[in-house]
Amino acid sequence: MRWRCTISTLVFCVAAASMLINACNKKDVEKGTTSVSFEVPAGFPQPVYDFSKNPLTREGIALGRQLFYDGILSKDGQTPCASCHQQFAAFATFDHDLSHGVDNGFTTRNAQALSNLAWQQSFHHDGGILNLETQPLAPLTAANEMGETVAGVVAKLKGSGKYQQAFRDAFGEGEITSQKMLKALTQFMVTLVSANSKYDQVKRGTTSFTIAEQAGYATFKAKCASCHQEPLFTDGSFRNNGIGINPFLNDGGRIRITRNAADSLKFQVPSLRNVDLSFPYMHDGRFYTLQQVLTHYRTGIQQTPNLDPALQFGISLSNTEASNVLAFLKTLTDSAFVKDPRFAAP
Amino acid sequence: MKSFLLPLLFFILLLSGCSKEVSQQGSMAPTATLKIKFEHQFKGQPLELNTNYQNDFGEAFSIGRFKYYISNIVLYRGSNASVLPETYFLIDENDTASKTLRIPIAAGNYDQMHLLLGVDSARNVSGAQTGALDPLNDMFWTWNTGYIMVKLEGSSPLSTQPNNRIQYHIGGFSGAYSALRQMETGFPSSVEVKSGQTLTVTFNADLQRWFNGVHDLPIAGQTVAMTPGPLSARYADNAVSMFSVKDARVQ
Ligand code: HEC
Ligand code: HEC
Repeated sequence: MRWRCTISTLVFCVAAASMLINACNKKDVEKGTTSVSFEVPAGFPQPVYDFSKNPLTREGIALGRQLFYDGILSKDGQTPCASCHQQFAAFATFDHDLSHGVDNGFTTRNAQALSNLAWQQSFHHDGGILNLETQPLAPLTAANEMGETVAGVVAKLKGSGKYQQAFRDAFGEGEITSQKMLKALTQFMVTLVSANSKYDQVKRGTTSFTIAEQAGYATFKAKCASCHQEPLFTDGSFRNNGIGINPFLNDGGRIRITRNAADSLKFQVPSLRNVDLSFPYMHDGRFYTLQQVLTHYRTGIQQTPNLDPALQFGISLSNTEASNVLAFLKTLTDSAFVKDPRFAAP
Repeated sequence: MKSFLLPLLFFILLLSGCSKEVSQQGSMAPTATLKIKFEHQFKGQPLELNTNYQNDFGEAFSIGRFKYYISNIVLYRGSNASVLPETYFLIDENDTASKTLRIPIAAGNYDQMHLLLGVDSARNVSGAQTGALDPLNDMFWTWNTGYIMVKLEGSSPLSTQPNNRIQYHIGGFSGAYSALRQMETGFPSSVEVKSGQTLTVTFNADLQRWFNGVHDLPIAGQTVAMTPGPLSARYADNAVSMFSVKDARVQ
């Protein structure tokens, strides 16, 4: 009797559970979205971004891409994300130390190249943003960038027939919300994966380095990789690499976030993927060439508070070593990435 | 009889897992209601916006906006915690309805309640949110991401800001300068809430204490607080000291 009771309970529960699971999932079926799986390139660690709360769909990515390229998100209608993040410059601003925002405003930092964002813990040069989904709020609402309010942008999107449809396609029925907008932008941004440079191809064994590149790689591993760690070419930490404070911008970097004097003049170690395309360099865009960057590390280190111990005496590189490192850095250019039609203006 | 009841119970459990709303209450179905009312005051009188006040330092000022988050509400029976549905409330002096929270609870005896003044650290970093936590409520810092836990704005002749503005945006969710503050209130005696009944807990928040509840923070010293840090943490101490339970009753 006891047995039968338990079995009937089980059967009932399984039936009930399957009914309920159907009820929970039905919405997705109704939405008619096509799910997209996120491929982790060989040799890459597991991503940091939590896809479970924002599952990728073809429609979500398409909406995010549309938003990324649309001036509707800005006050003057002319300043989309893509005006500062240009694909041919690896999604940095081509040839600009600082970028232009609305009302003739200038950003106060150099626009970062965007790639492999799903592996990043924190965003911006000072790491003040802790989740990719909330990053777009910063440029959207900054008076010197897109000059909008969250409410203003949501209202404009609600008033657009095109976006009403695109949001329905991506998220089903229901109102357009800032949350949906941010999740869609994030879906697009995480697809910007760069993992097909010559360096990656060498790693996969499909091509090989030149002698100079190979020697440069060895030097890089010995002298740069403690901060610019493979395969993302950053360890995500905050360091003072000895460039000294910019007297016009007076930017203390990480200390703005932590208010801790030990973080003064520290900036997040940037990835070096596509670095040959994303000039100028450093948080203020002060160096226009990689040659200048190397000269900085060799002879330009300024003894400022919190200078990273690894750079106390600069990095000694012979002229040959320096030119080999340069050759190696160029192998990080992923030309398929900067030409990928999936990332281009829709 | 038993073989029928057990699956039913399971079914209810599963149902709650789907809606997520009641899942944290375990198997106790919420048949009663917790109503939390916030009454904002200045020196014991109902708060009036844009009215001239004087703080205990004799400084003149008026309040134009007063908003804050309440979350992580937990009811206790002895050491038994009954965590209420994961809900975030934005209380806004300007919006009468926002000052009364209604939350389904299980019937039972309760003797204590804990609330968080602010938004817990996990939610500060879990991506795009909606409802009370929607960034369009202007309670989110975008450049150093995290919620503004308490916002008090107004004006004072002591301020040299445009329009004599005073602006205190209190936040920060981690480290030594976290502005999160727990409110723990014991009820005068254990209260029994039966099925269908409402437990109403009324809080007073007296803004007199904003300037000197714990730390002396005269307007002359600071007219603006806008970032997480030591100053923000001191305002958070003062802010939480404003709240006291006026009464708890069952109807
Ligand atoms: C006016 C130029 C401008 C516009 C418009 C702009 N950005 Fe940026 N972006 C920047 C700058 C400058 C930074 C670096 C900010 C900092 O470190 O403080 C940046 C940083 C970022 C980062 C962080 C990258 C990293 O490695 O940490 C992301 C992601 C990003 N932008 C995405 C966007 C999105 C999405 C939009 C549109 C909603 C956008 N940007 C609009 C200039 C801009
Ligand atoms: C101690 C850590 C550290 C070491 C070692 C180091 N870097 Fe850096 N690197 C940084 C930091 C931090 C920045 C960002 C500084 C800023 O934004 O102002 C940076 C920036 C750069 C940039 C600019 C990237 C951009 O997009 O703006 C390049 C290029 C670069 N490093 C190359 C190198 C090379 C090549 C080496 C070895 C010769 C090296 N680094 C060694 C920490 C380091």
